[in-house]
Amino acid sequence: MRKELTQAQDRAWARLAAAGTWWSGAERVAIAAETRHATHCQLCARRAAALSPAGVEGVHDSLGALAPAVVDAVHRIRTDSGRLSQRWLDGLRQQGLDDERYVELVGVVATVIAVDTFQHALGLPPRALPAAQAGSPTRRRPAGARIDRAWVPTLAPEDVGPDDPPLYDGLAGMNIHRALSLVPAEVIGFFDLDSVMYLPDRQLRDYGTEYRALSHAQIELLAARMSALNRCVY
Amino acid sequence: MVLLRGSGDFTGQHYDFAVVMDGTGDGGVPHGKLLMDFGAAVVGDSADRLNACRIAVQNTLGADALADAAGIAAIFNAVVRLADATGIPLEDAKEAASRVVRAEIGIDAFAVGKD
Repeated sequence: MRKELTQAQDRAWARLAAAGTWWSGAERVAIAAETRHATHCQLCARRAAALSPAGVEGVHDSLGALAPAVVDAVHRIRTDSGRLSQRWLDGLRQQGLDDERYVELVGVVATVIAVDTFQHALGLPPRALPAAQAGSPTRRRPAGARIDRAWVPTLAPEDVGPDDPPLYDGLAGMNIHRALSLVPAEVIGFFDLDSVMYLPDRQLRDYGTEYRALSHAQIELLAARMSALNRCVY
Repeated sequence: MVLLRGSGDFTGQHYDFAVVMDGTGDGGVPHGKLLMDFGAAVVGDSADRLNACRIAVQNTLGADALADAAGIAAIFNAVVRLADATGIPLEDAKEAASRVVRAEIGIDAFAVGKD
């Protein structure tokens, strides 16, 4: 196995444990734990089987460390993300979950899913969650972030200011890179993992060179199949 | 899908994108069905099936390819959440470039049934 695969996950786990931009290290680890717990939630199972998740009332089976709106966000993203909607997100906002914390939460959940899925795919046990590190969130919102093309504010590449982290370094600044840009550290962290598990942006269209044990075509076919299995239109 | 087509354009291969939806063939990609079966097993609920697919990938393509396939399955099981949870759309150019094939194979139907 490429050493980089393990190293990238080590970095992801270190980021998970540390204070983020809007959540403390302890809260980020709690979100990670809830992400794992969501797959055992009876309400999520009933909703996944229903024609519309909105028609199934109930309370999530949670670990109890996070507010209900946060638990709902984590569980829905983990178990039924293909049927999320802006109306659902508006409901979370009304319960007090602001966009900054929501976007960072999405980054944490996605990171845990990536690392856990990798271990599961290879028949390995899940990594133990890291011990939370002390420290305070930086609470810095990019000045240029605005509602544009997503449900949440994003920071366009042309709006990155001198005080913003270099969130698009090595990235083409495509829409998927912009998804988490309200919290630049999550863009940097997630796509650090992405560039190792998938391919760095600069290699995506370099069809004349194969960088992995799989060909470009094999990689893209599997990637497209994973999107279809997740009912993702992206 | 756009990058798969780009790969086909480069190599002169014609790929059948419809297999992405049902996993029934290799789509013209060497060992494509093997890899798609592995991906489906990764997100499925049968440990036996996943184990069998894992062994098949390793025996056919090797341990490094198995690790790379695990990485692709893992990151795409996650990256779809970024798109789904933030409502970020496809770029206009990508949407236009893939519009016909998306309609043909039924991907657009995924947009129906949101909460």
